[in-house]
Amino acid sequence: MPGADKNTDLSERIEAFLADLKRGGTGAGPLRGSAETARETTALLRRITAQARWSSAGDLMEIIRKEGRRMTAAQPSETTVGNMVRRVLKIIREEYARSRGSSEETDQQESLHKLLTSGGLSEENFRQHFPTLKANVIEAINELLTELEGTTYNIAMQALEHIHSNEVIMTIGRSRTVEDFLKDAARKRKFHVIVAECAPFCQGHKMATSLSQAEIETTVIPDAAIFAVMSRVNKVIIGTQTVLANGGLRAVNGTHTLALAAKHHSTPLIVCAPMFKLSPQVPYFPFSPSHSYEQRSVTHSLWWVRREILSKVNVYCPVFDYVPPELITLFISNIGGNAPSYIYRLMSELYHPEDHEL
Amino acid sequence: QDEGGLVEYFRTQMGKDPDMASAVAAIRTLLEFLKRDQGETLFGLRESLTSATDCLTGVDSSVAVSSAGELFLRFISLTSLEHQDLSQCKKVMEERGELFLQKISMSRAKVAKLCHTFIKDGAKILTHSYSRVVLRVLEKAAAEKKRFSVYVTESQPDAAGEQMAAALRKLDVPVTVVLDAAVGAVVEKVDLVIVGAEGVVESGGIINKIGTYQMAVCSKAHNKLFYVVAESFKFVRLYPLNQQDVPDKFKYKADTLRSSQSLSEEHPVIDYTPPSLITLLFTDLGVLTPSAVSDELIKLYL
Repeated sequence: MPGADKNTDLSERIEAFLADLKRGGTGAGPLRGSAETARETTALLRRITAQARWSSAGDLMEIIRKEGRRMTAAQPSETTVGNMVRRVLKIIREEYARSRGSSEETDQQESLHKLLTSGGLSEENFRQHFPTLKANVIEAINELLTELEGTTYNIAMQALEHIHSNEVIMTIGRSRTVEDFLKDAARKRKFHVIVAECAPFCQGHKMATSLSQAEIETTVIPDAAIFAVMSRVNKVIIGTQTVLANGGLRAVNGTHTLALAAKHHSTPLIVCAPMFKLSPQVPYFPFSPSHSYEQRSVTHSLWWVRREILSKVNVYCPVFDYVPPELITLFISNIGGNAPSYIYRLMSELYHPEDHEL
Repeated sequence: QDEGGLVEYFRTQMGKDPDMASAVAAIRTLLEFLKRDQGETLFGLRESLTSATDCLTGVDSSVAVSSAGELFLRFISLTSLEHQDLSQCKKVMEERGELFLQKISMSRAKVAKLCHTFIKDGAKILTHSYSRVVLRVLEKAAAEKKRFSVYVTESQPDAAGEQMAAALRKLDVPVTVVLDAAVGAVVEKVDLVIVGAEGVVESGGIINKIGTYQMAVCSKAHNKLFYVVAESFKFVRLYPLNQQDVPDKFKYKADTLRSSQSLSEEHPVIDYTPPSLITLLFTDLGVLTPSAVSDELIKLYL
């Protein structure tokens, strides 16, 4: 029966995606960039909307929330998955409100104003059925996909405003967004880039190779030299894994050091982050080790240590750092430049408060 | 006209439930006043409500009562825009007023639900004076089986800190009372600081019991997290730039304002903490950064 085939096909794809996510985390599978993850998640959600069986917006939101929870549980550190789920949930809410013809789509946030003027404990349960809802939601998701495809280009387009000739830029590790940003500026300006290698996986080396292939003068420095070199740097431009709700970052290990060194020398710290990295999470215990979620195995890089010593040694290798918002000067995203204190506003536009907790 | 009766009602409300915020009692009193009001025009209604609020601030000069009064006045204006006929308008106002009261009596529970997850197991918390919202948050954390210990300042001149310590001991939370002067010395031992607020100003700063500013400066110097818990009806349209900008009518108790000869010889009971020293604000509208507070106020008043 065609219905059953569609269902099994859909669940197969979801399972394949979940397995891929899990593998990507342990470093065994192909390491995908977050842009790809975002695109694939959104494409999967569009498929769920098209193929799953639902009659009202409430049902669809329940299905998406359930799948979203499974996806975030598969790989908790990949926050883009959860962010895309929340974007799609907001899309569904907006399309539903538009179908109902109500003008209160903008007023969905809790606010003092709403507290004072609401006439009753309105429980919006999204139960009404609209035949055009499916098509509208799918079209909106397609728009979201187009937006996702254009993000790196939109960010790179702003490069010329921020990078001037003969400047010394510092960055850390490897970020595809920053790579494209710098390469775009290099078309018209001559500047120098210093890359901190970001031990122990030394992603900075790949970044430096790629930048020098684009004819940019690049220097690689060890992480310990960051502070020493900082006095000669004009700007620090970094990427990040997640932008948190308070304007802070969860970025690759070593970024906090870089940010503190930049603050000490009053060097501007610019973060290039597309909007899909913005997450409604607020860091609970920002500076405690448990916050970095995962640690990676580094025994392969300690090959030079004698075996009998290695078994007695505890190696601590967190993957992410928390960078507080006070150390950041500017966020450059596909919608323009913003101060960290403005992040809460961008978040309220992207996600609905009830979706913060999937 | 009925000032005595109003004050009586307010005092009874406060006495009936000592756990209720003074702003909630003020709104309840104003709602009662609205029900009893015999005026024929909207303008007259607003005038009598303004004088009623003044009367209440004469009893309890805290920022919270004043902000509650302004909020209620705003509530009246917004509702009256929708209905032209005054008697129908009044009926709608009474219904919505009851609903509003219901909602804000749940605010503290919402705040506690948001904030208790930020207290980790084994945390050492510093707090100031007696705040019912902070107490609620700590109750919730204790109920979730989290182990934590609390340092609370004595908070003179009324030793309210002792009241807080007694309440915490009932919850089996290890608590130490410290001198107000000992804050600087104690801050290095704690993991985070949680305080309540009597008022949250437009810039995202807070007005709270005297000694809060000191605590905030010390915690900034030691890079400690400084959290504020407050319900949303405490948001007030003030924008002080320093301590001097806070109006005298809030700084001193109502009796002191009436009876004293020269205010410069009196001790202020509140101070202003600027937003740069605050990490996060927990309100029933969500977890806010100080910059988000003015957004909320604009949404209401404009």
